[in-house]
Amino acid sequence: MNLLEVKNLNTSFHIGVGVVQAVRGISFDVAEGESVGIVGESGSGKSVTMLSVMGLLPEYADISADSIRFDGREITKLSKKAARAMHGSEIGMIFQDPMTSLNPLFTVESQLTEPLRIHRHMNKAQARQRALELLRQVEIPNPEARLKQYPHELSGGLRQRVMIAIALACEPKMIIADEPTTALDVTIQAQILDLLQHLKQKTKASIIMITHDLGVIASMCTRIFVMYGGVICEQGSAREIFYDAKHPYTWGLLNSIPKVTGKTGEKLIPIKGTPPDMLKPPAGCPFSPRCRYCMPVCRTYMPPLTALSDTHIVACHLTHPKAPKITKGV
Amino acid sequence: MLKYIIKRLLAGVLTMVVLITVAFFMMHAMPGGPFAPSEEKNVPVEVLERIAASYGLDQPVWKQYLNYWNNLLHGDLGISYKTVGTVNEKITGHFPYSARVGGLAVLFSLLIGIPMGLIAALYRGKAADLTTLALATIGISVPVFVLSLLLSYLFSSKLNWLPTYGLDTWQCYILPVICLSFNPIAYIARQTRSSMLEALEQDYIRTARAKGVRELMVVAKHALKNALTPVITYLGPLIAGLLTGSFVVESRFAIPGLGYYFVRSISDRDYTMIMGIVIFFGLFVVICNLVSDILLAIVDPRVKLAND
Amino acid sequence: MSTRVPDPDTYASLPEEMFVIGADDTGAEEIARPSTTYWHDVWQHFRRDRLAVIGLVVILLITLLCIVMPMVSPYTYDGSDYLHMNAGPSLQHPCGTDQLGRDQFIRIMYGARISLTIGFVAAAINFAIGVIYGGLAGYLGGRTDMILMRIVDILSSLPSLLYIVLIMLIFGSNMGSVILALCFTSWIGTARVVRSEVMYLKHSEYVLASRLAGASTWHLLIHHLIPNAMGPIIVSTAFLIPGAIFSEAFLSFLGIGIQAPQASWGSLANAAIPVMQMYPHLMLFPVIAICITMFSFNFIGDGLRDALDPRLKK
Repeated sequence: MNLLEVKNLNTSFHIGVGVVQAVRGISFDVAEGESVGIVGESGSGKSVTMLSVMGLLPEYADISADSIRFDGREITKLSKKAARAMHGSEIGMIFQDPMTSLNPLFTVESQLTEPLRIHRHMNKAQARQRALELLRQVEIPNPEARLKQYPHELSGGLRQRVMIAIALACEPKMIIADEPTTALDVTIQAQILDLLQHLKQKTKASIIMITHDLGVIASMCTRIFVMYGGVICEQGSAREIFYDAKHPYTWGLLNSIPKVTGKTGEKLIPIKGTPPDMLKPPAGCPFSPRCRYCMPVCRTYMPPLTALSDTHIVACHLTHPKAPKITKGV
Repeated sequence: MLKYIIKRLLAGVLTMVVLITVAFFMMHAMPGGPFAPSEEKNVPVEVLERIAASYGLDQPVWKQYLNYWNNLLHGDLGISYKTVGTVNEKITGHFPYSARVGGLAVLFSLLIGIPMGLIAALYRGKAADLTTLALATIGISVPVFVLSLLLSYLFSSKLNWLPTYGLDTWQCYILPVICLSFNPIAYIARQTRSSMLEALEQDYIRTARAKGVRELMVVAKHALKNALTPVITYLGPLIAGLLTGSFVVESRFAIPGLGYYFVRSISDRDYTMIMGIVIFFGLFVVICNLVSDILLAIVDPRVKLAND
Repeated sequence: MSTRVPDPDTYASLPEEMFVIGADDTGAEEIARPSTTYWHDVWQHFRRDRLAVIGLVVILLITLLCIVMPMVSPYTYDGSDYLHMNAGPSLQHPCGTDQLGRDQFIRIMYGARISLTIGFVAAAINFAIGVIYGGLAGYLGGRTDMILMRIVDILSSLPSLLYIVLIMLIFGSNMGSVILALCFTSWIGTARVVRSEVMYLKHSEYVLASRLAGASTWHLLIHHLIPNAMGPIIVSTAFLIPGAIFSEAFLSFLGIGIQAPQASWGSLANAAIPVMQMYPHLMLFPVIAICITMFSFNFIGDGLRDALDPRLKK
């Protein structure tokens, strides 16, 4: 059964010079206990998608969707109060920068026990007990001392562990991790990924991992959505994306991750150009200006979704019968 | 924390030493001196010299400087040259008036300025925000002496609603307190508004919302505490600003406070009085700065670290 | 909907030539937005701020008036018209006359000269001191920086008015000493801004690059650090001008600023206090002049701050 179902989500921002169409008609679903990855460059709309689902965008954001269902409930129709009751208890979020995501003026204890006291109505002692448990769960040594500390007294890795503990506090059904390792040192990144992997096995929660780095989700996610220019350009199982990708953008992403097994002398190939300006997105395929296989049709029409298997869906004109056959390009 | 306080305290002492030294030598650099022969008063030179000697003014400057310090450390600010009595008596006698009006003005500024700024930030771009911004601009642009002139002209001379002199009844406080707090309200409202807007855009606010914290608590707990730290930092300058304002306001409304006497001793060239009041004001401001520093360190744990 | 997905029939029947790779290659790199220079951007932004533009026009107007009017007016700032003493506004004397029958309008214009001169000169000097002091502290860093900043801390921890009053008493009441007094501590804000900007830029990569290319410290300071730190410096200088004008008016109001027969706005207002009830126009006009000027400068300052703040631009 699907835990989260999003149908035709559109999100735009009204800024001084015009309307930024950050997300343009996205549909996806996440099954119970499943972990999925959303991959894309910065500005592709991946974070905005999840923040739209959570209703955490600023007021000037304009969100519309045919439906967003979480755990059988239509959350576009929830009252603010009901939505709040869900946030932090049924859905936990982990953000990119642990340096700024924790409030500098409150202790770890205060910030970690907050969701417990709000949603589980625990008293101070109970919440403290649970907080200690959580800190142990995210493998923070000496949790008693850490509770009394302020965020600035902790290292980046520890802060991110605290963020994860906050997200886990009420045993949520779903955890959204928005670039959880991007702001960290490489060695710390690996530790945090290990921890998430470990927690994924222990908890039954679904995990949505948002990242710009395919390498990060390779081992964690069963399904992957590749986003570009506010649309999903390819989606499929991890195997399909890594070994049988059909979209030139996905090829580009794959070519830009270093491989441990790669032959010496193998080069990383960057994707040329910059993501589209979502104030004026291209009329056709958003990737067309940067795509080396660009055809006239790409500039005129958005590619329709083509299902290649039950799970593998791609939006690219190369799948058209009249298009030249490219097997696996670079 | 103790280390931090001691550090701030030492900085305050150093400030006072510099101020006293600078003020002392400036006083001595002043042309004329309090007992210089003048054309209007036909006092024989010998008499003037004897008066000067009785105040120790015939001694070399460095000796006078040491004497001044010696007296100062015994809590003695000297004798007023131009009026009857010691500087200590003047200060203890007149400061309470200033303190009463100034204290009310501080209270008034915070009680009006902070909520104004908050409301403006929460209703950004709406009528309440625009009104606050307009009022704040007026508050910053209209100098205190202009305001005190206009208000006393309007409410006392023309409408005859409020008294312009002294501090005998509670009505007497209204105009001075409004005049004194007008500028600070504007600054506090602007500061609160901009720091609140900044705080509301921080990542930790998003974290709080993602935790399911009620909007009221997001604002009142997570944002407000962060937004108020610049306001606490402003407390020191606020007191200093009130002192400046008090010179004008006390003169205008004939309040027998220290500001009024400071202005008078300036026009009288009453050097010991000027020195005494400068030192007293300096000390007062240093103490206020210290209090606001300590307050800030209590609210924001990062401050101590940055200063170590 | 901006997304144009073709319906299946149309899609299937699209001509072959629509599916040729690279048929209309226009290059991958497209410049998304027209690139503009920083200062052009700032000006565009400033121009849209109506209040700031009004402020700028008013200041230019006052400057022009206070230069031209005394040249063409039949009155001088100290010439008395004994037939019209304490006269209210009239065609002959648009702002009335004072106790000695001096034309109030011309005196206000002379006051404007004094106020604006003091404002601009004090701001310029403070700007220079602040940039040099802050630039040195930030660039040299280490112990020098610590000592320089401790000095600034001590100076700034006391109300500058205390120093200003003392300086005015020593050097006497004239325009020179007012400017000197105002320059004693007002540069501190600018110095702090410059220091932190320089500190920040010092560690940025383009400065490192030019250092590696063998640029001298002086060259770096002039060509990289200062221009890049210009935004915040300009804003703090813009607010120095009304501050200086306010301080001058304040000193003159207390009777230790500009002395008679010269007139500044502060001393005009001060002189009007005893006769305020009888001749309110004597107080009203200088006060209005001060307020308009302060408003205009604050509007300009706000406008500049918004225009120069890169965070607000998107």
